[in-house]
Amino acid sequence: MKLEIVGENVIRVDGLAKVTGKATYPQDLYVDDMVFGKTLRSKKPHAFVKLDISKAEEISGVIKILTYQDVPNNHHGVLFKDHQVFCSKKVRSIGDSLAFVIATSEKAAEKAVAAIEVTYEEIEGVFDPIEAMKEKAPKVHDDGNILYHYKLRKGDAENAFEKCDVVVEGEYKTSMVDHAFLQPEAGLAYKEGDTIVVCAATQYPHFDQLEIAEALQLPLEKIKVINTAVGGAFGGREDITMQIHLALAVKVTGKPVKTVYSRQESFEAHSKRHPMIMYYKTGADNNGKLMAMEAKIIGDTGAYASWAINVLRKAGVHATGPYEISNVKVDSYAVYTNNPFAGAMRGFGAVQVPIGHEQQMDMLAEKLEIDPITFRLMNCFKVGSRTATGQVLEESIPLQKCIEEVAKAMDFEQKLEGAV
Amino acid sequence: MKKRGIGFASIFYGTGYGNGFPDISNAIAELGKDGMVTIYAGATEVGQGAKTILSQIAAEVLGVSEKEINLICEDTSITPDAGTAAASRQTYNTGNAIKIAAENLKEEMIAIAIEKLGLNSSVGLAVKDGSIFLKIYPEKGISFKEIASLVEEKRLRRAGNFTAQTTRMDEDTGQGAPYWPYTFSAYGVEVEVDILTGTVEVLRSVCAQDTGRTINPKLVEGQIDGGFAMGLGYAIYEDLNIQEGKIKNNRLTNYLIPTALDMPEVKKILIEDPESTGPYGAKGIGEPVTIAAAPAILNAIYNAIGIRMKEIPVTPEKLIKALRKKEMEA
Amino acid sequence: MKRIQLKVNGKVYEVDIEEDMRLLDVLRDKLHLTGTKEGCGEGECGACTIIMDETTVNACMVMAFQGEGKEIITIEGVKGDHDLHPIQRAFLEEGAVQCGFCTPGMVLSAKALLDQNPSPTRKEIREGISGNLCRCTGYNQIVNAIEKASQYLRGEETKE
Repeated sequence: MKLEIVGENVIRVDGLAKVTGKATYPQDLYVDDMVFGKTLRSKKPHAFVKLDISKAEEISGVIKILTYQDVPNNHHGVLFKDHQVFCSKKVRSIGDSLAFVIATSEKAAEKAVAAIEVTYEEIEGVFDPIEAMKEKAPKVHDDGNILYHYKLRKGDAENAFEKCDVVVEGEYKTSMVDHAFLQPEAGLAYKEGDTIVVCAATQYPHFDQLEIAEALQLPLEKIKVINTAVGGAFGGREDITMQIHLALAVKVTGKPVKTVYSRQESFEAHSKRHPMIMYYKTGADNNGKLMAMEAKIIGDTGAYASWAINVLRKAGVHATGPYEISNVKVDSYAVYTNNPFAGAMRGFGAVQVPIGHEQQMDMLAEKLEIDPITFRLMNCFKVGSRTATGQVLEESIPLQKCIEEVAKAMDFEQKLEGAV
Repeated sequence: MKKRGIGFASIFYGTGYGNGFPDISNAIAELGKDGMVTIYAGATEVGQGAKTILSQIAAEVLGVSEKEINLICEDTSITPDAGTAAASRQTYNTGNAIKIAAENLKEEMIAIAIEKLGLNSSVGLAVKDGSIFLKIYPEKGISFKEIASLVEEKRLRRAGNFTAQTTRMDEDTGQGAPYWPYTFSAYGVEVEVDILTGTVEVLRSVCAQDTGRTINPKLVEGQIDGGFAMGLGYAIYEDLNIQEGKIKNNRLTNYLIPTALDMPEVKKILIEDPESTGPYGAKGIGEPVTIAAAPAILNAIYNAIGIRMKEIPVTPEKLIKALRKKEMEA
Repeated sequence: MKRIQLKVNGKVYEVDIEEDMRLLDVLRDKLHLTGTKEGCGEGECGACTIIMDETTVNACMVMAFQGEGKEIITIEGVKGDHDLHPIQRAFLEEGAVQCGFCTPGMVLSAKALLDQNPSPTRKEIREGISGNLCRCTGYNQIVNAIEKASQYLRGEETKE
């Protein structure tokens, strides 16, 4: 089929507004009579907490200070509703929202945030996911810290390792990282008749609409989300940040309310990439055929679930890498700690596992004295392969071509001869 | 002293929410009285190019330029839910929904054209450049605008929806078809390791990226460059440095992301092997493009200095420590 | 409160400012020239890059009163003969824009570079934009765009 537009280097339809500086991000919105909001966040990772807002309320310019008592349904979350809009009794990580000050100027709001008296009664925290998995570890939520365990079983890995001619093992660790999109979170909300309009930069406007409506206990159609220009996301705008705060502020004050996060606040407010600890054992026979793989993967999801189950599931499913292995055993775990919460980030669990499986592949290739390209080509998925979960790869499986094209463009074979 | 090495990595990535969770995109295609087509779908443009890709898909179906497609995605009160801009799912899922909506609209427009032009069937009709006409006798034709003027607006507003197919995995064995489709990618890199300072520089990189079918090459290439940069940061720079739950690196002065000087040139090779369930064969590439970058760099570091760095990021401190340890052991 | 005079994009503005206002705040909050973005507030990301007397500065690091008597150019003042400046045209053609938040600052850094060095090498272009962070593009298409813009500005045909 000959195509006319598909396959063409069409110029980005949103490009003109962006190169001329006219694209409107939420911080670029200004309306008459708008007031400003500022969030008070927890400075402790695990504590019972009490607020005294009386002095802050006296500060000139302060219109209202919202706390958990003002939220009709004080919960949100992409999968489990384990985030509170404002913490009522307990904080579980540094950066948890405690209150939202609404004032006539940003300065007054900042001053009032500083004037709220917070009493923390600290609880022992847990910051290492392996410690957190132990029976006696401090509990982040009411149930145990192990949020999820994914099991993948194919063939008989234990038995197969005995038949392998070469086996390599490794323990791999990845760090907690941030999306660091260039546009820090911001938003403006206002009333349009009896509808509350929230302008924000989000990845999923309809889900935000639902979460706002549920928290405020309003019918869905009374909430409208306007998704402005979005300054990068990479997964970091999946979870709610200020959307409910703003909608509630409008509901309570009737005024248009704007908030803009600083870079530091942005780091505290949104999700992170799950750091993972991965134990890998991979074996092959002397001909270079992968025979068995075993992996244990522990992901630290911090204080809240966010997408942890889906992320650790995706990590588990992708743990073999794109190779046919007849005997596979994978256990992946999502674990609560008092670290900043982890959620979606570009790659979503499938980014961490190749730090392990791709080094394992090179280590095996070296032991087998086969070059890493040939070794991969011998084992890689092709049409008709079945993945470790038993899924048939029926069509559009051009991995072999990807490998060959890169090898050719890099002069890999020639270069490898002179290498270490 | 500097040592060079090359490294390679390949990956697969499964699109979508997965595990049998209903992964649905909805879209509406509408022909306005002015003869312009508007597409409504709540699919976010986060910078990845969704608005452009999705406009191209609608334009292809309706035989117009993408400039004649008005794609609205920003307002929940007028757009249907198209799911989240994540999981590399917008091109595949919402692309399919928009393609179906546009095809439904086109079918309706053709029916009106047949009636108005007094034809017996749709055989030999072309839909191109804002009109529907008979290829063997182009004088027998009607413009989009005319079509819009003939019927009530409701008739020229057509929905399309697409639900991806996955299955829930078995709880004890993890067996099942959790994602579909899978996208493939491979990276090769050449690095230079300064064994005195512990710094790693990536000199060049090659990426071969499976796209199913490329909707817009330049946008895919932009994703590859950006994906490589994120993988580069992951491999050697980025760490929030969490201490007792506190983010120590909480500003851009100490949370380091790659600059223009850190980025190598990246040679991009787009591999097309259409996926029959994708819109025109296309698959999502937003996440796959970043995944193999970091492991390729780690393998290249090993190739350069003979040390396996199993903990990322490979900062100069960690690298120097590893080099010292190797010296001691030797 | 203090009244100052600022010349921005060739136009003179009289503005009342608070003493501690940054130039960035005046541009955005007072003049509503919101093309200048704030990404970090400490001169690290370059999203608020503007040109002040032919040199790029981060508007978040300049106090408002320091802008007095200077020729200030923001993205709103970057224009070409046919509306778009050749740099902007090249950015569009080369795919140098993704989320767009770094783009205005990037365009101004490119302009300052090309004003001083009409034929930069790719290395010089990378140095010229090294103070501007971008999380989306990996910079390569931005470098391509600036290279192409330099050809446009020199009146050369570009290879396609």
